[in-house]
Amino acid sequence: MKEIRLSWLTFLRIYLRSFLLQASWNFEKLQNLGFFYLMLPGLRSIYGDEIPADVRQRHCAYFNTHPYFAPLVAGTTLRLETLSLAGEEPAVDSETYKKMVMAPLAAMGDALFWGGVRPLAALVGLLMASQGSLWAPVVFLVLFNLPHLLFRGIGLILGYAQELKAIETLQKCRLPDLAIRLKESTTILIGVLCAYLSFKGCEHQELSAAWGFVQLPIVLLFAWLAHKGVTSLFLVLLTTSSLLLLALLF
Amino acid sequence: MAVGDYLLAGLVAMLTGLDRVALIQIMISRPLVAAPLTGWVLGNPLVGMEVGMLLELLWLGRLPVGAAIPPDDTQVAVGATVLALSVGHLLDLHGMPMVILSVLIAIPLGKFGQVFDRLARHTNDRLALSGHDALMAGNTTGLERYHLFGLASFALASLATAVIIVLIGSFVLYSVAPLLIGAVRETGLSLQYSLILVGAASLLGTINVNRSASLFCAAFTGTMLVLWMR
Repeated sequence: MKEIRLSWLTFLRIYLRSFLLQASWNFEKLQNLGFFYLMLPGLRSIYGDEIPADVRQRHCAYFNTHPYFAPLVAGTTLRLETLSLAGEEPAVDSETYKKMVMAPLAAMGDALFWGGVRPLAALVGLLMASQGSLWAPVVFLVLFNLPHLLFRGIGLILGYAQELKAIETLQKCRLPDLAIRLKESTTILIGVLCAYLSFKGCEHQELSAAWGFVQLPIVLLFAWLAHKGVTSLFLVLLTTSSLLLLALLF
Repeated sequence: MAVGDYLLAGLVAMLTGLDRVALIQIMISRPLVAAPLTGWVLGNPLVGMEVGMLLELLWLGRLPVGAAIPPDDTQVAVGATVLALSVGHLLDLHGMPMVILSVLIAIPLGKFGQVFDRLARHTNDRLALSGHDALMAGNTTGLERYHLFGLASFALASLATAVIIVLIGSFVLYSVAPLLIGAVRETGLSLQYSLILVGAASLLGTINVNRSASLFCAAFTGTMLVLWMR
């Protein structure tokens, strides 16, 4: 049997549905309904309106990955479905593939987007906001969403075109290394932001800028406390109460 | 603030709340965007920007991984902006001190967000079961419908959090603002900058990268020296 090819319209539908992947996120099976919902235009193209019971069963099982990587998984899964239907025997079936890749891709996506791109874009936005620019939110959104939206689209096409080899291509991109570089850049920007605010604080209180260096060990101490599990709420309360007390006393 | 303003703020609360998990995730839920957006619909984006700056870094290091639910900084941002504008207007207190007080009162109330978010996800457990049953009966349209119903759970959870923050926050802020505004004003920019620095420290402490302390110290010292010698 000849392999069924998905149309561009189907890809567009899957891409748009990927923005709704987590609409019914639940503790029981996490993104299971969402993943089926995402794949549905593709499954309808392959099987028509009567999707076989075994296909329905295997694609509505427990599923959890990073939302931006889900189109890549969906692309590969749909290609594996078409290959199986055409009588070819891929090295891994679609169900095993999903189980194999969802957790590693979730970890990769969390490190890259939540731990790397988002803090970096936020720091750039904050630096602009601290200079009084109202464009800060727009710059933040553009910096974050350019890679995000591209990643979803490229992931879907790559997953479908290269099926199992898409993971190799992803490995060649060395995304975990990129995530580390982004985190390092974020750390540098945190240093720049803290120094800028310390300097402005000294300037405002007509103190020598040398006093700004006092902030360095304080921020490091707070960072250590945060690393040890002290909550941000406690640190905020500690800082506020200390400063208010000082203001009331002197 | 008129009733229409509260309704608009409620809409922003639901829209930005959906962006946290359920819909699109283009990060309009981040305080740096959600607060100015709220300020903008209420006619004062600058107040929103000030709120967003104070809150952006506080919980940025808390990743929404798997079943982990971080405090709802989105609704804290929306609620604090509404508080600063509404109670500030009532008491005729404006400016950064009022923004700081609103943020300080809204931050602990963000815990309600975690409770409502958990409730929404438990509600979705039932939707997921119904969706699965519909699918097994061959009704794919039913599955689509149940899946999209999940958006309502998340939207209502966001709205409930925002309402709680605004209701409790208004009462507390109205009571304490006249007593504390003087002390907050006395701290000048120190409190504003310190809150951002606390956020920066929280992020630095959770960023999980080798040499983070050395990189931070080098960047801090280098920037200070450049600014000093300018």
